[in-house]
Amino acid sequence: MRGLLARRMKFHLLGAFLVSLGCATLYKFAVAEPRKRAYAEFYKNYDPMKDFEAMKAAGVFESAPAK
Amino acid sequence: MANHSQFGFQDASSPIMEELMQFHDHALMVALAICSLVLYLLAHMLSEKLSSSTVNAQEIELVWTILPAMVLVMLALPSLRILYMMDEINEPDLTLKAIGHQWYWTYEYTDLKDLTFDSYMTPTADLPLGHFRLLEVDHRVIVPTNSTVRVIVTADDVLHSWAVPSLGVKTDAIPGRLNQTSFLTPRPGIYYGQCSEICGANHSFMPIVVEAVPLANFENWSSLSSS
Repeated sequence: MRGLLARRMKFHLLGAFLVSLGCATLYKFAVAEPRKRAYAEFYKNYDPMKDFEAMKAAGVFESAPAK
Repeated sequence: MANHSQFGFQDASSPIMEELMQFHDHALMVALAICSLVLYLLAHMLSEKLSSSTVNAQEIELVWTILPAMVLVMLALPSLRILYMMDEINEPDLTLKAIGHQWYWTYEYTDLKDLTFDSYMTPTADLPLGHFRLLEVDHRVIVPTNSTVRVIVTADDVLHSWAVPSLGVKTDAIPGRLNQTSFLTPRPGIYYGQCSEICGANHSFMPIVVEAVPLANFENWSSLSSS
């Protein structure tokens, strides 16, 4: 029983740090990295003129009305 | 524009906004780590029946001083990096002035033969089908894509704020003062924002709409509008 609290505290303090690192890592690989990849994928083969022509044909632009 | 019940940021339409989103992810990650640590320790403390007779806690006090300082440095460094990035001298291709009034915006394109126009919100009764309520305007801010646009923001009467979330821009419009911001958008499209400083009864009804088109179309529009 000697030093029981100190032993338990050390164990749980380590556990707490591992849990918090785990949460941060989970967020990083579940949210942050997929978001970066999504933006990279979007811009890899992005054609702004094609996008513009599609939007123009839909008639959404004030400065470039659809013919 | 934001969808109904949208929780996160709008899709980034400028490199600065992408950086801001990544920094927000970083800051949220740090906040999540700290909150989960505190929650775990709180749950443990509340369920622990032993008591402590500690009188000398030098080591743990050192740890819980150094660790938060390191966390703060981890937050400060990327934050300062983006702050300085936003203020880089970037040789704008176009400068336009946005003047806030109660309750509309005036835009001046003095680079282009003094083109000036007012931008009022389209009333709901006059809204064409498919347009967005309280977000559409009669005259949009037309800008070229892939060009650094500098916006000088000021106000004529009370405080306003020129904000377009997807471009990562929000600049206060203060009477008697010129504030400067700049953005660059690689994507053509229409980007919505709203006045972001309380300015009276119709503060919610003076939106901002930025229309980004390729340079050739921008030049065509500006020559037609100036004449």
